[in-house]
Amino acid sequence: MKRIPYTTCQPPKIRFLKGLLMIVAASAVFASAPQVLFAQKKFDKSYPASKNVRLNLVNRTGTVTVQGWERKEVRISASLERPFAQIEPQNLSGEIRINVVQDNHGRGEVGDVNFTIYVPYDSTVDIETRIGNLNVSNVQGGFVRAHITSEGDVSLANISASSVSAKNLIGNIFFDGIIKPGGTYFFKSMSGDVNIRIPLKSSFKLLATAPSTRNIALGSFSNSSMRLLGDGRRVVGKVGGGEASVTVENQRGTITFLRR
Amino acid sequence: MNCGNYQNLISAYLDGELDTGTWRAVETHLEQCDECTRVFSDFSTILEFCDETYAAEPEPPNSHALWCRINNIIESELPETQAETVASEGRASSGFWNTGLNLSAGQIASAVAGIALVSSLLTIVAFQNLTTPADPLAGQDGEETVVEKVLADLGIGDSKVERNERRLKEQRAAIEYWKNRVEVRRASWNIETRVVFDRNLSEIDKAVSEYTRLLNENPHDTISNEMLDSALKEKMELLREFSEL
Repeated sequence: MKRIPYTTCQPPKIRFLKGLLMIVAASAVFASAPQVLFAQKKFDKSYPASKNVRLNLVNRTGTVTVQGWERKEVRISASLERPFAQIEPQNLSGEIRINVVQDNHGRGEVGDVNFTIYVPYDSTVDIETRIGNLNVSNVQGGFVRAHITSEGDVSLANISASSVSAKNLIGNIFFDGIIKPGGTYFFKSMSGDVNIRIPLKSSFKLLATAPSTRNIALGSFSNSSMRLLGDGRRVVGKVGGGEASVTVENQRGTITFLRR
Repeated sequence: MNCGNYQNLISAYLDGELDTGTWRAVETHLEQCDECTRVFSDFSTILEFCDETYAAEPEPPNSHALWCRINNIIESELPETQAETVASEGRASSGFWNTGLNLSAGQIASAVAGIALVSSLLTIVAFQNLTTPADPLAGQDGEETVVEKVLADLGIGDSKVERNERRLKEQRAAIEYWKNRVEVRRASWNIETRVVFDRNLSEIDKAVSEYTRLLNENPHDTISNEMLDSALKEKMELLREFSEL
């Protein structure tokens, strides 16, 4: 005997109630749709940039990506999550300043702000965040500073600056760039891996400290001038003529030098 | 800017006379440059010493008036003739080679001997520095600077251990202050921020207890000392920056 589908045998009243229920459910979904659609807000602003413009950004939480480009313009894009933070960039003489912490002080909970910023190649970049990743690439200005107060990864790629400073507590630090003669390079983490990828012909004085793991891998940069101090917790020495200064401290993680 | 420029700014930096941008640039440079940090440390030591000395010997209110009064009393107590003699002697040769200083031959000889002694000491110090040039890498293991050594030897400055202890004490006091500030703000953070903050604080605390243990075993372990200092600085920074949220 052919079995009759269950639904077709339902009495009309039940079918009506089910239909009503579906309409109510659909209405609920549509009612919440604007909330879903506008859970993020966008921010876009561009500024004409003078030579050697300085970008100064202090973020609360979220990822910051800064990229160098050939245009003489600074373009700031940000996606904001609820509750939306206030962003009020200031265009001072030769400096673009954004301070999300200050602009939202005393507001309580504020959502992530994820920045993507384009700056001219020769810009000075000074960025920090309380929580989140910091990425800087293709920057050749005088100075690059990327500090994370707590956790997040710092990635500095294709950097050619005479002063570089990268810091975090929990997270990795990656530097890929050039060591300029007379420059100072400072990398500090509490826990994570610090990887430094530089040309083999770099010339610098090195002070590297990894007291907990004692894992300092110099790779191709190892030479007879290197001295191990404090039972291998610290390495000091010179690479090439020792013209620049490289200081690396990783309290509970590893330090690795890679050839570029 | 090079190290020379930064070193020129250190005095103004210590006096709080720099604008925010320059102050920050100097602070960042000091974090990175050990040579300038040494200069900064020397400056701080000298200033601290001067402040303490100044504070220990407070000048009486209106000291000029006080000295005038003392002078008047002395003059009024001298017999008239003697006072006239003193006055005429004063007019004839006002003290030490007409400079207004009344110094005896013995005092002049002592002064000359003192200058000679100081010059000799400075020459010896300079010679030592010349024959054993400061190795920028060796300097990283926390050697005392010449000024610090001299002050400590003279008993008018702290030794390195005393300075470290004092610094740690100051850091711990600052940490307590920021901890209280964080407690006030913490309630307004979202759950994720609280979790991240606690995790990071715990990571720092692990490092702090590790280096404290190592220093208890070997108080002269320079690297552990430096790392403890660094971890406490990080803790202070974490607390301070999260207290602004």
